[in-house]
Amino acid sequence: MADPAATPPVVEALHIDHAAIAYDAEPVLTGVTGRVHAGEVVALIGPNGAGKSTLIKAVLGLVPVVGGTVTVLGRTPAAARRDVAYVPQADILDPQFPVSVAQVVLMGRYREVGWLRRPGRDDRRIAAEALAQVGLAERARATFGTLSGGQRQRVLLARAIAQRPRLLLLDEPFNGVDLVSQDALLGALRGLKRQGTAVLISTHDLALAQHVSDHACLLNRRMFGFGPTGATLTPDLLRATYGNQALELHGDQIVVAHH
Amino acid sequence: MHATLVEPFAVPFMARALTELLLLAGLAGVVSTHVLTRRLGFVADAMTHTVFPGIVLGFLTAGVDGVLPGALAAAAVTAVLLTLLTRSRRVTDDTALAVLLAAMFAVGVVLVSRRASYTADLTSFLFGRLLTVTTGQIAQTAVVAGLVLITLALLHKELLLRAFDPQAAAAMGYRIWLLDLVLNLAVALVVVAAAQSVGTILVIALLVVPAATGRLISDRIAPITLAGVAVAALSGYLGLAISYRASVSHGLRLAGGATVVLTLVAVYLLTLLAGGLARAVQSRRTSDAVA
Amino acid sequence: MRWLDVAFNRALLESVLVGSMCGLIGVQVVLRRQAFFTMAMTHATFPGVVIAAVIGVNLYLGGAVAGVLAALTVTALSRRRGHDVSTATAVALAAGFSLGVVLLSAQNGFTKNLTAYLTGSILTVDEQDLMVAAAVTAGVVLVLAAVHKELLYAAFDRHGARAAGYRTGAMDLLVLILIEAVVATTVPAIGTILTLALVVAPAGAARLWTDRIASMTAFAVAVAVCSAVGGLYLSRAFDIAAGGAISLLAAACFMLSTMFAPRQGLIARAAHRRRRRRTPPAGEPDRAAHGEPVPATGR
Repeated sequence: MADPAATPPVVEALHIDHAAIAYDAEPVLTGVTGRVHAGEVVALIGPNGAGKSTLIKAVLGLVPVVGGTVTVLGRTPAAARRDVAYVPQADILDPQFPVSVAQVVLMGRYREVGWLRRPGRDDRRIAAEALAQVGLAERARATFGTLSGGQRQRVLLARAIAQRPRLLLLDEPFNGVDLVSQDALLGALRGLKRQGTAVLISTHDLALAQHVSDHACLLNRRMFGFGPTGATLTPDLLRATYGNQALELHGDQIVVAHH
Repeated sequence: MHATLVEPFAVPFMARALTELLLLAGLAGVVSTHVLTRRLGFVADAMTHTVFPGIVLGFLTAGVDGVLPGALAAAAVTAVLLTLLTRSRRVTDDTALAVLLAAMFAVGVVLVSRRASYTADLTSFLFGRLLTVTTGQIAQTAVVAGLVLITLALLHKELLLRAFDPQAAAAMGYRIWLLDLVLNLAVALVVVAAAQSVGTILVIALLVVPAATGRLISDRIAPITLAGVAVAALSGYLGLAISYRASVSHGLRLAGGATVVLTLVAVYLLTLLAGGLARAVQSRRTSDAVA
Repeated sequence: MRWLDVAFNRALLESVLVGSMCGLIGVQVVLRRQAFFTMAMTHATFPGVVIAAVIGVNLYLGGAVAGVLAALTVTALSRRRGHDVSTATAVALAAGFSLGVVLLSAQNGFTKNLTAYLTGSILTVDEQDLMVAAAVTAGVVLVLAAVHKELLYAAFDRHGARAAGYRTGAMDLLVLILIEAVVATTVPAIGTILTLALVVAPAGAARLWTDRIASMTAFAVAVAVCSAVGGLYLSRAFDIAAGGAISLLAAACFMLSTMFAPRQGLIARAAHRRRRRRTPPAGEPDRAAHGEPVPATGR
């Protein structure tokens, strides 16, 4: 495991080494080191403004890495994009946009289909299967904006699944999502994990993080810890990460009070 | 220098034009700050076009004296319509605005096109006659400016809150639509006040560029407003001087209102350039410090 | 005598071409919320046309060059600190238009040319104008057909499209240039401001009747062509400016749609509200963007 020559680089979906990430001159996130392997789920945990979304954007190659390295599937982030899928927060999208659910999921195939060509029967089948995986097959013909917030989030996950990624990035997928949709999202993520997809999820829901992830990465402007979820989400490390924010511990349940 | 910058304003009509422009500068500097913080660029633009049919109707029914009442009526109607439009959510704001703008303007064009002196009328409505401003018009502008500035000063903190955080403003019990209506009316009044001198179409520059220039220098409301007023006043003065000098010394007729606006834009661009240079120098210094 | 030798017939053909391309590009304008940009484009092409007239090159070329410059300016300015797109667009609009007016005022025949620019003169189009219009229409159709799915993705989910590796900046610029090409072709026929109506109103009306892009596009083109042709006949019948009549027809279609469209029309919504008063809504559109309180449910 420790010898990179012994392990084919493709198994390592994401390798971050002492990365510093900056929009302008001032870094917004420093000292991030960690690995995500195929079939692993890693949770990015930290308060609002900690740099979780920034790290995700860096993995997508949309934000410059000014120090250290970020390697995706053995390549630079920008070169690896075809094998990486990204699930944005559903509520940033315009609910009035005139697209059907099926059209949105089919967008996941566009890169594969390529410029100037229309999606074929296979693409439509893959999209339909992805939609079924999130439990919304019967809503394919509905307009995207008529769905509930949780259902929209599931459609976006289906779009990512249709892309058949090897690394999946989710930005706060459980925010404001109802319980039914949360279960559907978790179920679909388990399916992806079984197929060997590496998953990186940003969240500030610690209970969900404990439930869903193998590893956790604690962030607040810099990295405060990275390791197996149980060993990382400890009161001490969490207190260090969250600073002065209220932190209540009930047995092994940890609650972060949010504004 | 003296011949270009001071002499022209000894001529009475030039002095009147300058007075009018300085009044408008004070008004526009303040209102444009609100336009900037509320991102009302398009609303302001729509307003400049929707006032047009009012001006035409006023002129057709009562001659020159009908222009101001006509413009005021059209401005009031559009301020209300715009407030309503931006409250309904189905059609996106900008689509509805664009249709309203073009439709009202088309009404104006159709009305004017029935007249024999079509082209001359259209031009003077759209571009104003800066050099024929009368003392009566200056008095009208002063009254409008006083009214708008006092209202905006009284509602300053509420308007700021509404621009920054509409949800909090609503939660605190403010009536958002009422604040919006007040601001829309203020914008409309600026258009009306400036229509006869600068012309309806070029007012958009007065409503946007001063605060946009201020925004390049500062990120606080008060300095932005002050810079906006200063920039608008300076551009009014310089623009007039340039257009006068060009026509007297070089026989080049430059439309007065448009020259003022172009000067305003030039000041904006120079500020932009200066800011860019300053930033480049600064970032080199920080990267030197890091290395 | 050939059919094309009659001025009114040429105007008729021009209005069909102009209507088609405005309806097509209007769908992009409405979905990407670029009505204000289109407005700015109609004004920013102005100085280019004046300069072209002065130095004696093709007017379309002058307008097109100025339009590309304006598109680049807006893109660059909107990246500045504290400048949103609306401010950048308004600055470009004011700058372009005042430059055009100043340049034109230095010429003779100021008012006449200006009026032609503002309200267009569709009755004086010649065969060269028709050829330009036909070429631009064909170009717009081809480009939109070729990159339709990518444009859809980027318009719907910009961040997602970027993450998928699309260069959304380049795609934005492509759309802006298409808009600009349509504007530069349409303005000489129906005028600057009224072009906006023919681009935005048909697509805005179509949006109210359907939730699908394909039917929206067809509807928008139909409305735009009917408005253009109908407006031309109205202007002949009542001796009013053609550009004004065309815009008013297009705007009337939009207004009627806001009232009578199924589900999204005012009448249908009023009925719907009454029915729904008892059950609270799910999946309401984002009210925060319009300055209204977000309902406590769901978030």
